[in-house]
Amino acid sequence: MKKTHRILGLFSNFDEATNAIYDIRADKVRGVSVDDVTLISPIEHPEVEEALGDRPVYVQFFTMFGGLFGLIGSWLWISSAQATFLVQPQGGKAVVTLVSNFVLNYEMMILGSVLFTLIGFLAGSRLPSKPGSLYSEKVSLDQIGIILELEQNQVEPAKSLFRAHKALEIREEVNT
Amino acid sequence: MSLKNLVTDWPRYRQGIEEGGFQHYEHRWGMAIDLNACIGCNACSTACYAENNLAVVGKERFAKGHFMHWMRIERYWDENYAEQQHPEQGAHFMPMLCQQCGAAPCEPVCPVVATYHTPDGLNAQVYNRCIGSRYCNNNCPYRVRYFNFWSYYESSWPEPLNLQLNPDLTVRDKGVMEKCTFCVQRIRVAKDKARMENRKVKDGEFTTACAQACPTSAITFGDLMDQDSAVTRLWAKHEVSRYDDKGRPVQEQNKAHPELRGYRVLEELNVDPSVMYLERVREELA
Amino acid sequence: MNPLHHDKDIRDDIAWAQINKDILKSLENPRRGYWYTVIGCLVLLAIGITAAVLQYRYGLGMAKNHPHMWNLYIATFIFWIGMSHSGTLLSAILHIVHADWRKPIYRFAEAMTTFSLMTALLFPVIHLGRLWNFYWVIPYIPSRGTWPNFRSPLSWDGFAIMTYLTSSALFLYVGMLPDLAIARDNTSGWRKRLYTILSLGWRGDDRQWRVFRKAYMLMAIFLIPLAVSVHSIVSSDFAMSIMPGWHVTTFPPYFVAGALYSGCAAIITLFILLRYYFRWEEYMTLAILEKICKLTFAIAMVWTYLNLVEFASVWYGHDVYAKEVLWGKMTGAYAPAFWSMMFFGSVLPFTLAFQKLRRHIPAMMVVSILLNVGMWLERWMIVSPTLSQSFYPWAWDVMWPTITSWAIVLGSFGWFGLLFLVFVKIFPSVSMYEVKEMVYHRKLAREKGVAHGAVHGHAGGAQPAHSPSMKKEGNP
Repeated sequence: MKKTHRILGLFSNFDEATNAIYDIRADKVRGVSVDDVTLISPIEHPEVEEALGDRPVYVQFFTMFGGLFGLIGSWLWISSAQATFLVQPQGGKAVVTLVSNFVLNYEMMILGSVLFTLIGFLAGSRLPSKPGSLYSEKVSLDQIGIILELEQNQVEPAKSLFRAHKALEIREEVNT
Repeated sequence: MSLKNLVTDWPRYRQGIEEGGFQHYEHRWGMAIDLNACIGCNACSTACYAENNLAVVGKERFAKGHFMHWMRIERYWDENYAEQQHPEQGAHFMPMLCQQCGAAPCEPVCPVVATYHTPDGLNAQVYNRCIGSRYCNNNCPYRVRYFNFWSYYESSWPEPLNLQLNPDLTVRDKGVMEKCTFCVQRIRVAKDKARMENRKVKDGEFTTACAQACPTSAITFGDLMDQDSAVTRLWAKHEVSRYDDKGRPVQEQNKAHPELRGYRVLEELNVDPSVMYLERVREELA
Repeated sequence: MNPLHHDKDIRDDIAWAQINKDILKSLENPRRGYWYTVIGCLVLLAIGITAAVLQYRYGLGMAKNHPHMWNLYIATFIFWIGMSHSGTLLSAILHIVHADWRKPIYRFAEAMTTFSLMTALLFPVIHLGRLWNFYWVIPYIPSRGTWPNFRSPLSWDGFAIMTYLTSSALFLYVGMLPDLAIARDNTSGWRKRLYTILSLGWRGDDRQWRVFRKAYMLMAIFLIPLAVSVHSIVSSDFAMSIMPGWHVTTFPPYFVAGALYSGCAAIITLFILLRYYFRWEEYMTLAILEKICKLTFAIAMVWTYLNLVEFASVWYGHDVYAKEVLWGKMTGAYAPAFWSMMFFGSVLPFTLAFQKLRRHIPAMMVVSILLNVGMWLERWMIVSPTLSQSFYPWAWDVMWPTITSWAIVLGSFGWFGLLFLVFVKIFPSVSMYEVKEMVYHRKLAREKGVAHGAVHGHAGGAQPAHSPSMKKEGNP
C-alpha cells in the first residue's frame, strides 16, 4: 500500500518526543519504521537525532570537489592567461610566476570549497523548498515536531502513540 | 590554445631575472651622463618639456608636489658647504630621469599591466591602459614617475601656446601615470626609416631631446646592443655593464681604479638601470 | 571573593518565547539613539560623497602629491580590511572550539566583517586616477588578451578580498537561515515576504540540521586560513615592494595581529551600542563583554610584541635606508602620530587588564574607540613615513592629509555605520536559535549537576522539562 498519509505531532517535552521515536524504532506501530520519521526542531538536537539512527551527510564531498576544482582550475586558468598575455616580459619576473600564482590558487581553492559547500548544503538539505502544510510556527519557537509518513491503516495507532507521549497537537495531511 | 602555449613554451615562460630574464632584445637603449660636464643649466629639462608635451603646472602646484618634469636637475649641497674650502663650487647636480631598468620594480606591481618591458629594452607606459593606482611610483626607488593629478591641459597651454604641442605624441589627461620614454617617438621614426631603407639604425642617427639640447654634451644616448655605439664604448670604458643572459654583469668593475668613474644609481637594488652616470671629480673631496 | 565572579554569560532560565520576542523586537522599536546615529551616519556619508564627487571632477591633486601617491585612502583601506577580521575569524574559531559564549555576539560581528569589507572595497576604487576603468582589475575574459596582472599584489588583493567577502557573506547568511525562518513565522507584511524568500523555506527538519551542522563547520574551517591569508595578502602590497619600511618580513603576521586587534575593539564598540539600542542587557551580558575584553588585551600584547620585533629587526639588519625611515618615523614630522599610535595601541589596552574597568560600560566604549584610533594611526604610520622618506633623498617630502581626504575617510565611517544600522534593523542581529541552544545546554548541565547522578539517557526520563514553557507541567 502506498504511504499517502502524513501526520505531524508537536511536543514541548523533548524527552517524550525522543521516546516516541524510540517507540517507533521498537516497532510499537506496526509497519512504521524509523525511516518514515522526520524530526523538525527549533534548535540543533544531536541528542534527539540520535534516536533516528545514522543518516549520512554528503556535504564534505562537495567541499573536496570544490577545493580541488578551485586549486587546479585556477592554476590552469591563470597560468594559461599569463602565457597568452599580450605583453610578457615584466620587471625581471618570469612570464608564468608560480609563486604569485600559488597565492591566487590558494584563494581560489578556498572560494571553490566554500561555494561548493553551499551548493552541497542546498542540495543536501533540499533547499529552497516550501515548509509545507505540516509545518507549524511553534517549531521555530520551542516545540519539536515529528512527521510520520504512513499508510492509511497506520494513522490511528500512530496518533495514539503521539498522544501517549503527550503530544500537544496532531495534524494530518493526505496526499492523493 | 593557451594550454598548448603553456606546455610548449614552458622553459621560456619560467625565465626570471635569476635565469637571465627577458633577453630577446632588438635594441637596448641606454644612456651615459657625465656629471663632470653637467653645469646644471636645465636645458635638458626644458627640451623635455617641449618635446614630450609636459604640462607646465605653475608655482603653486609645483610647490605642492604636482609637477611633471620627466627630466629633473637635482641639486645637492654638502653639509656645511659654506664653511668649506671652495664654497663657490656650489651644488652637485644630478640630472635624473627614468632609468629604464631591466628588472624594473614598477612593472610587476601594476595591476593592469599598464607598464611593461618592450623588446627595445624600454620600460613602457601605456597611457590608455593606466587606471592610476600609482603603485608603480610607490615602488620606484628613483621616484621618476609623475602622475597627472589634475587635467593640466586645461591651463598649461593657453592659446596660442597649444600650437607648440608636439603632434607625435599625446597630451595626457588626469588620472594617468607618465614618465620619461627615452623619446620613444624619435626611436620609432628612426626605426621606421631604417626599416624602409632596409638597414640597421645607425648610432647617432637620432638622439633624445635632452641629449640634443645639452650645451656641454654631457648626455650620450645610443643602443647598448650595438657594440660600436658611443654609449656602449663609454660603458665599456668605465667597466659598467648590464646583466647578461645569466643575470650577472658581463664585466665586474674594478672599484679600486681611479679612472673608472661610471656607476649606476642605487645599483645595489639589483634593478639593472640603463643609465650610467660618470662621477664628478672635484678639486677638494666633498 | 569578588561577587562579580559569579555572574554567568547568560541566564539559563530565559523562556524561549521571550528570546524570540526580545530579539525580534529589534526589527521594530529601537531606542531613539539609534535614529540619531543613523542621522549622524547620513551626514558623514553626505560629506564623503561630496568630497568624492569633487575629487572625481577635478582630479586626485585634491588628496595627493608627488611622493605621496598613496595616503589616507590606502591607510583607511587597510583599516577597514583589518576591522573585518575579527568578526568572521573569531566566530569561526570559537565555533570550531565550541565556545558557546560566541552565540549571542557572532551575528553582528559577522555583519561587521561583511560591511567593513564593503567599505574597504570603496577605497581602492576611490583612490584610482581613472576610477571609471576600475573593472580592468577584474579578471574577466578579455577580447584583446589583456588580463589583469597576476603578478601584482594589488590583483592578489582583489582575489583575496572578493573571496573573503563572498565567503563571509555566505557564512553569515547560512548561519542566519534558521533565524530567518523564525522571523518569517513571526512577522507580517513586506517583512514576511522578504523573510519567506530569504529563509528558502527552512523548516528545521533533521536532514536540514544535519547538513547545516556539517556545512557550517566546513565553512568555518575554511574561513580561518582565508582570513589569515587575506590580511597577509593586503600586507604584501607593502611587503612585496622594495621600499624601506615596507619591505618587512614580519608584515603579514603584524597586519593580521593588527587586524584582529582593531576588529576586537570594534566588536566591543558595536556590542555596547547594540546592547543600548535594543535593550539587550539579558543577552549581551557583562560576562561576555569581559571575555571579549580579555581577548582584545591578549591580541594587543601580540601586536605590541610584533611591533617591537619589527623595530628590533630593522636595528639588527643594519640596512641604512630602513633605519633612516624608522628613525624618521620616531623623530620626524610624523612623530606625534607615531607616539600616539604606540600609546593607544600598547599602553591604553592595559585598562583592559582591570576587572572594574572591563565591566564599566562607558569606559569600555571610550577605550574601544581610542584603540581603533590607535589602529587607524598604525595604518597611516605604515603608509606615509615610507613615502615621505624612501631611497631617494630628492623625493623626501612630508605631506599632511588634505581636507578632501579627511572628508572621504569620514564618509566611509558614515557608509559603514549606515550599512550596519540598516542590517541590525532588518535582520535579527543576535542568533535566536543559538541562544536557545546555549540556554538549553547550560540548563541541562546545571540540572545534571544538581541531580547528582540521576539516570540519564533517552529512556530514563529523569531529566526535568527542557522547555521553559513546560515548567508548570511538572515533569519528574
